[in-house]
Amino acid sequence: MTKETYDVLIIGSGASGGMAAYTLTQKGIKCLMLEAGPLVDFNRQRTLKPVYELPYRGMGKPGKLPRVFQANEFNASQWVDETDVPYTHDPKEPYNWVRIRMLGGKSLFWARMSYRLSDYEFKGKDHDGFGENWPISYAELAPFYDRVEPIFRVSGRKEGLPQLPDGIFVEDTSPDAGALNRFRDAGKSLNLTVTKIRRSLGDGQFASSYNLLLPAAQATGNLTIVPNAVVRDITTDKKTGLVNGVNYVDRQSGRALHAKAKVVVVGASCLESTRILLNSNIANSSGVLGHYLHDQFYISNGVQAVVPEAKGGNAPRGLMGGSGYLPRFRNLKTKEKNFIRGYATDLNPSGTPDAKYFGTWGTELQKQLDEHRGAAFGTTIMGEVLPRFENYVKLDPKVTDKWGIPVLNFHCRYSDNEFNMAKDAVATISNICNDAGFKVLHGNDKMFPPGHSIHELGTCRMGDDPKKSVLNKWNQSHDIKNLFVVDGSSFVTGGAQNPTLTILALTMRASEYLAEQLRKGDL
Amino acid sequence: MKRRRFIQTVAAAPAIAIPATAPAAQPATQRPPAEAPKFELSPLDAVGDTTPRFFSAAQLATLRKLSDVLMPPLNGMPGALEAGAPEFLDFLIGASAADRKQLYKNGLDTLQTQAQKKFGKAFADLNETQVGELLAPLKKPWTYEPPADPFARFLREVKADVRTATINSREYSTAGSAGRRGGGVGQYWYPID
Repeated sequence: MTKETYDVLIIGSGASGGMAAYTLTQKGIKCLMLEAGPLVDFNRQRTLKPVYELPYRGMGKPGKLPRVFQANEFNASQWVDETDVPYTHDPKEPYNWVRIRMLGGKSLFWARMSYRLSDYEFKGKDHDGFGENWPISYAELAPFYDRVEPIFRVSGRKEGLPQLPDGIFVEDTSPDAGALNRFRDAGKSLNLTVTKIRRSLGDGQFASSYNLLLPAAQATGNLTIVPNAVVRDITTDKKTGLVNGVNYVDRQSGRALHAKAKVVVVGASCLESTRILLNSNIANSSGVLGHYLHDQFYISNGVQAVVPEAKGGNAPRGLMGGSGYLPRFRNLKTKEKNFIRGYATDLNPSGTPDAKYFGTWGTELQKQLDEHRGAAFGTTIMGEVLPRFENYVKLDPKVTDKWGIPVLNFHCRYSDNEFNMAKDAVATISNICNDAGFKVLHGNDKMFPPGHSIHELGTCRMGDDPKKSVLNKWNQSHDIKNLFVVDGSSFVTGGAQNPTLTILALTMRASEYLAEQLRKGDL
Repeated sequence: MKRRRFIQTVAAAPAIAIPATAPAAQPATQRPPAEAPKFELSPLDAVGDTTPRFFSAAQLATLRKLSDVLMPPLNGMPGALEAGAPEFLDFLIGASAADRKQLYKNGLDTLQTQAQKKFGKAFADLNETQVGELLAPLKKPWTYEPPADPFARFLREVKADVRTATINSREYSTAGSAGRRGGGVGQYWYPID
């Protein structure tokens, strides 16, 4: 039985896979999309429940998803169960690999933070000498950011910052809370800016491949979507060395199948894409496939402060509420002694500090909570992690997943640059809070384990030199011209910004190049 | 204690065959599908109390006293004892990994031993001041990394667990109209096939 050979086979249906389908199908290219997870009917899959009706009172089934700190008893079923798809690491080098397998991928649940990278990232080596530059500049990607933002309806406020370029925004004209203004004024000597969170509004606060990209792609008549197709590896033509399809497995039955295509686009999420390439034993003449794993380190409530005037729920109108974003301000025009690059911070002037911050219990604890009600000033610190060769994934020779596919073994730890950056962040933000007249309850410079931010990047990086990179500047394999990898694995550096907007822009750019190459018959 | 009852629709097949009472009198025309019946159901905790099975009697007595101290009834809201938090934790810890089980057992035993050693009484019989002396490690500022001392680590965990088990209980969620809400309502995901 001979099945159709598609023009392009896309692995994954999240932000990158969805954008590849969106771009290619509108150019008349016949695409096949394989998604490892099911199509979820949200109306059937979810229901409202009071927490006390859950079997474990919302405290979670013991031992379930121990490395997914975002999981709780309500949402436990939405994450990939690591007993189905395990991964391994040295216990001393923990890694939190947080995954979702459903049509739409992680774009179903992301926080929708949508920031552009700048030449402080694309040309980072020129700035401080570390690592490699990207093979593209901000100017080359900017036109694609310009086209992605209106699709996702990114809200924001223009600031004119070189380290955080403005976009095509749905303008956010809401006033900043008084507490944010005080924070900004207190940090004036550091030349910092507090801006609005830049967030994809999408359609009704839902901004996913699922609703913004895939419907339009399928409406062209050029997209075939197959859920429950777990890709094992990519196959190659022995004569030409070109890729010609993929081996995949029915998620539910384990039955093995093969699909054919002229071009393969891998967008299975950063580390799943690299896993597929490693299992395929292709595209690694450089020897760097799997290396330069990085992300952003996260510290929730790195500084937990209180705004005294808001205590007891008595905040004057306009003092509290909303949120703000403190873009990177370190190592722009000056140089820090102990670290390169920088960090950004989410600022949240609302709510009540958690009970854990009060060294008391019982009646006195409740009194403290009542006193501090509505007065919390929380901060989430997000720092750039340097891409280093020694942080990597490889195949574990002893462990396979539920479908017999070899799994990843992680070797990743943060370095002094990240530790020093975290210390600076907590000390600096604490000082600003004090100068703003806030009371600092707690400071913590210990970050979550690598991976926690769900911003895993690198391991299949792009570059001009085929000896140092896996992909060229078009997200195309240096080794195999009809193979493209379009997700976060292609990043050279990540900055402190959330990566999804850049993944979308890179994928649109790569897909247009791919389409042109196909049209010219060069693939 | 107020009890709220929930109507739950059995969302099975839309059409359920209802046995006819008089087969001989069936009309020739087909009947429209019947609506699925609706039942009035009650949650487990509305009709019964958790049966402790994990901790020893002495450990459970200590946990009950500790829970009452950590989360007493306040401002018209039920405390840990009314919420059945110690019995729920007996179940939860009993279902947990070995290291968590041991942390709890050792922690409760330590409280009992210290109570006897310092005050010559069972922990359950101590007064507020005496209990406060034994819980002194809780006064230290919270740190991201848990304390190295297992007893301090136990106290930190039990403080958080008792609080959550209380606030997320049915009793707390449905108590009075004090304006303070319990763990609330969330979008629950059914397991995916």
